[in-house]
Amino acid sequence: MMNKLTEAHRLHLLHSVLCAVNLGAIVLDGERRVVLWNAWMIKHSGLGHDKVIGADFFAVCPGLRGGRVESAIQHALYNNFPSLLSQTLNKAPFALYASPAAAARDERIQQAVEVRPIAVEGAARHCLIQINDVSIAVGREKLLREQAMVLRTQTFADGLTGIANRRHFDVAMEKEHRRAKRGGTPLSLLMIDIDHFKAYNDHYGHQKGDQCLIQVAAALAAMLRRPCDLMARYGGEEFAMILPETDVEQATLMAEAIRARTQELAIPHERNSDAGQQVTVSIGIATQRVDAPAGIEALIGAADRALYLAKRNGRNRTEALLPA
Amino acid sequence: MFSLSELENDALIEIFNIGVGQAASSMSAIVNEAVHMSVPSVSFINRAEAARLLDGKSTEPGAICGVSQHYEGAFSTEAILMFPEDKSLEIVRLMVGEAVSQKELTEMEQEAMCEIGNIILNSCVGTLANIFQRELQGSLPAYHVGTSDEILIASGSQADTVVLMLHIDFLLEKHQIHGYVAFVLDVSALHDLKEQINLYIARAMGQA
Amino acid sequence: MTSTKTVLIVDDSRVSRLMARQYIGALHADWIVEEAATGEEALVKARAVGPDLVLMDVNMPGMGGIAAAEQLRQELPAIPISLLTANVQAATRERATLLGIGFMEKPITEARIAQLLSTLEAA
Repeated sequence: MMNKLTEAHRLHLLHSVLCAVNLGAIVLDGERRVVLWNAWMIKHSGLGHDKVIGADFFAVCPGLRGGRVESAIQHALYNNFPSLLSQTLNKAPFALYASPAAAARDERIQQAVEVRPIAVEGAARHCLIQINDVSIAVGREKLLREQAMVLRTQTFADGLTGIANRRHFDVAMEKEHRRAKRGGTPLSLLMIDIDHFKAYNDHYGHQKGDQCLIQVAAALAAMLRRPCDLMARYGGEEFAMILPETDVEQATLMAEAIRARTQELAIPHERNSDAGQQVTVSIGIATQRVDAPAGIEALIGAADRALYLAKRNGRNRTEALLPA
Repeated sequence: MFSLSELENDALIEIFNIGVGQAASSMSAIVNEAVHMSVPSVSFINRAEAARLLDGKSTEPGAICGVSQHYEGAFSTEAILMFPEDKSLEIVRLMVGEAVSQKELTEMEQEAMCEIGNIILNSCVGTLANIFQRELQGSLPAYHVGTSDEILIASGSQADTVVLMLHIDFLLEKHQIHGYVAFVLDVSALHDLKEQINLYIARAMGQA
Repeated sequence: MTSTKTVLIVDDSRVSRLMARQYIGALHADWIVEEAATGEEALVKARAVGPDLVLMDVNMPGMGGIAAAEQLRQELPAIPISLLTANVQAATRERATLLGIGFMEKPITEARIAQLLSTLEAA
């Protein structure tokens, strides 16, 4: 009688420990059914035992079918191998949230996952899925990286205008191009060129020319709304604006806003034959659509040709072309 | 020095190609790009030779990045995925989609490299274990950086241990990267391997 | 009673070819199995022999299985082709579907060969 109680006590203790640990623990049996789902999982998934215990794991988490998590489960159950799912390569595979507010914002916890085989006497191999909340570490790393970026902008900043230089543009373009392909999002590029800038320099002098560039660059850079948008000095009087996750309609709206804003600056330009004696810009727009990915050169080429078209059609306007 | 016949060599390369093929599939799912991996050749060399082979390929002598896992059961081996450090950074950069410099390879990216090692090694050894119908257990990955000799020593091998060296060709986004998987095997494991390969070949020929 | 058929197995691995031959023979002892070790060789053999089925490994040096399969499709469109691979990825799958080519997963097993051959007979 004493032994039975001790055994039950022990089991209860182990169970309480598992519920108390500050990480997610899921155990699946040999048929991939959920046999354990600890308190941390209940709290952060919003799914209670009634919804998960005994159910097929992929019925509970259908989004994980065919991915790295499924492959890790297979390796654990059939090959007896553990797997590691890094936060870096697997962005929050499980739908877990720090709070109901975070859930409403669809802001998942950053996760580091391990899947391990568990031998069970008298039954097929089980597997343990362990989920660690690494949001704080990720946040800290992001901060460090941002600080490093700030330091690096010394070499990425254009000496005259203070905005991004051509080198920064090249690096950012590669990054955003890859990101757009990964994420299946559109990517827009604007090429912005000050109209009759040579004539401006000739008439007002190079110092005024520099001031004009600084003023225009500042005004346009101030129009950027998101941290991933980039405004760079591409050439002498040419600027480029990278707009990730922006489709052709949005890019056109932005380009028009830029055109209008430049006009609003009302910088006098007596030698601007095309528009009311003020500094204006022509803008070429090119968008890489989700269903039609293009190379970086093709995108820049299209924006360039669109810019040329805008100039030919009378300046102080925007034109859009698709990459070939 | 341990060696295999042409047919045994062929069988081993084919088995590993199946393994890395499956690893490439997993990696392709992560990056949403086509990933191709193949094993053009294998060789059996001692540890000193292995170290020389690896050091010869990196731009910076002594900078190798390795991910190791230990396997036990039917046979025991330390499996190590190795790239010259600049190449491993390139792989992580391609898989993660961000530009990272050597100094910046943070814990998070080391973790990514560990996962890549975990995928490739589990695939290779898993295929081997399945085809040979053997039961094994594995460990989680450990990250090492240093000279190839240091990494091989860290696996607990003796100087005259035989290393089964897989040459791996890795292709992602037109980036071609050459790396290695080293299996550190003791004498009994080597003989076991040869025996298993021959059983596999016998089955192929309808003799088993 | 199925008539004698000819299968062309293309793989740079001799053991793979032996295995395929072995499993096909176990199911249909009277069938003829031809072999090729490269994509180029496969085309030469196919033109000469006119097989009823081609098993083509994807991962081969030189021409490669997919290029060879595409070429074969153009020259001899009536011959069913099955690509052999351990690594089926979306882009490859799309390209194959467009060409009307099927897949067989590696490792080559008796069960997989049996399934492939039965779908061939059904067609």
